[in-house]
Amino acid sequence: MTDTPAKPAADAPRVDPRLLEILVCPRTKTTLEYDAENQELISRAAKLAYPIRDGIPIMLPEEARPLQD
Amino acid sequence: MVGESKTRPARRSPHPKKPMSEQTHFGFSRIDLKDKQARVDDVFHKVASRYDLMNDLMSAGLHRLWKDIFASKVRPSRGAPYRCLDVAGGTGDIAFRIAEAGTPATEIVVLDINADMLEVGRARAAKRRFEARLEFVQANAEDLPFEDNSFDAYTIAFGIRNVPRIERALSEARRVLKRGGRFLCLEFSHVDLPLFDRLYKAYSFAAIPRLGKLVTGDEESYRYLVESIERFPEAEAFRQMIARAGFDRADFTRLTGGAVAIHSGWKL
Repeated sequence: MTDTPAKPAADAPRVDPRLLEILVCPRTKTTLEYDAENQELISRAAKLAYPIRDGIPIMLPEEARPLQD
Repeated sequence: MVGESKTRPARRSPHPKKPMSEQTHFGFSRIDLKDKQARVDDVFHKVASRYDLMNDLMSAGLHRLWKDIFASKVRPSRGAPYRCLDVAGGTGDIAFRIAEAGTPATEIVVLDINADMLEVGRARAAKRRFEARLEFVQANAEDLPFEDNSFDAYTIAFGIRNVPRIERALSEARRVLKRGGRFLCLEFSHVDLPLFDRLYKAYSFAAIPRLGKLVTGDEESYRYLVESIERFPEAEAFRQMIARAGFDRADFTRLTGGAVAIHSGWKL
């Protein structure tokens, strides 16, 4: 909510690759792009970026960042 | 939580008898469907830290036995990888039991809509060294973020009652299960023994909210809990909902005089 800088991803827990394989966008059920650097899962179809916080994917559209254009 | 929609008069609506939005139950109160999730989130946010203690006190420790019996119905295969989705499983109660019964090839995805409950579960997973077999995801049971046919089992313990659109959650459950996958649900039900029935009601309506106030300082959340249990469909009615969602061989077992029931169905 505030503009605190993003935590460096290095020490944060990682999402299991096997989990990433089955995760889809909850709204469109389409595949996601994993942005490891920003710890986001991007749904091009829904134009949303779902955050990953402390290794936990937050797959809620209301918590996601809307993508521009 | 501001009741802005309620201050808007519905009189000018061309269909005065039709509610402006879909409604559902929050305990005994009728509220807008879209508000239920926020209210339920608030309840669990308040009780997360003392969730286990309250469960022990309320059920006289029985919830542990119920969860043992429930989790034992999931039979992770010994030889092959086995993937289970535990919905509304934030604190890890069910996931740990399944992990114990499984092998290193047993994988459990713990899903909860509530970040506080997930935090409790993850801290406990680290202590028990189950981290490698457990994954945590924050999501809504009505909109699962998984591909079709991903799981061998779907479990939900004391969770489905709090989902605003139960039919939608059931349909999502079936979608993410593989063919041959099993749906299992543990939920409060309705006591069917004449005397026990009255005692149970008296206990739950009088004692539980007070107990909640004593232990968590929060009476309202526990009043919601009791009312939501009372409102939840009878076991047979719920079995029919599961069957209507497309599950095969929908069935249930009552425990402790019907205080809780385990529902089961298969995606065949």
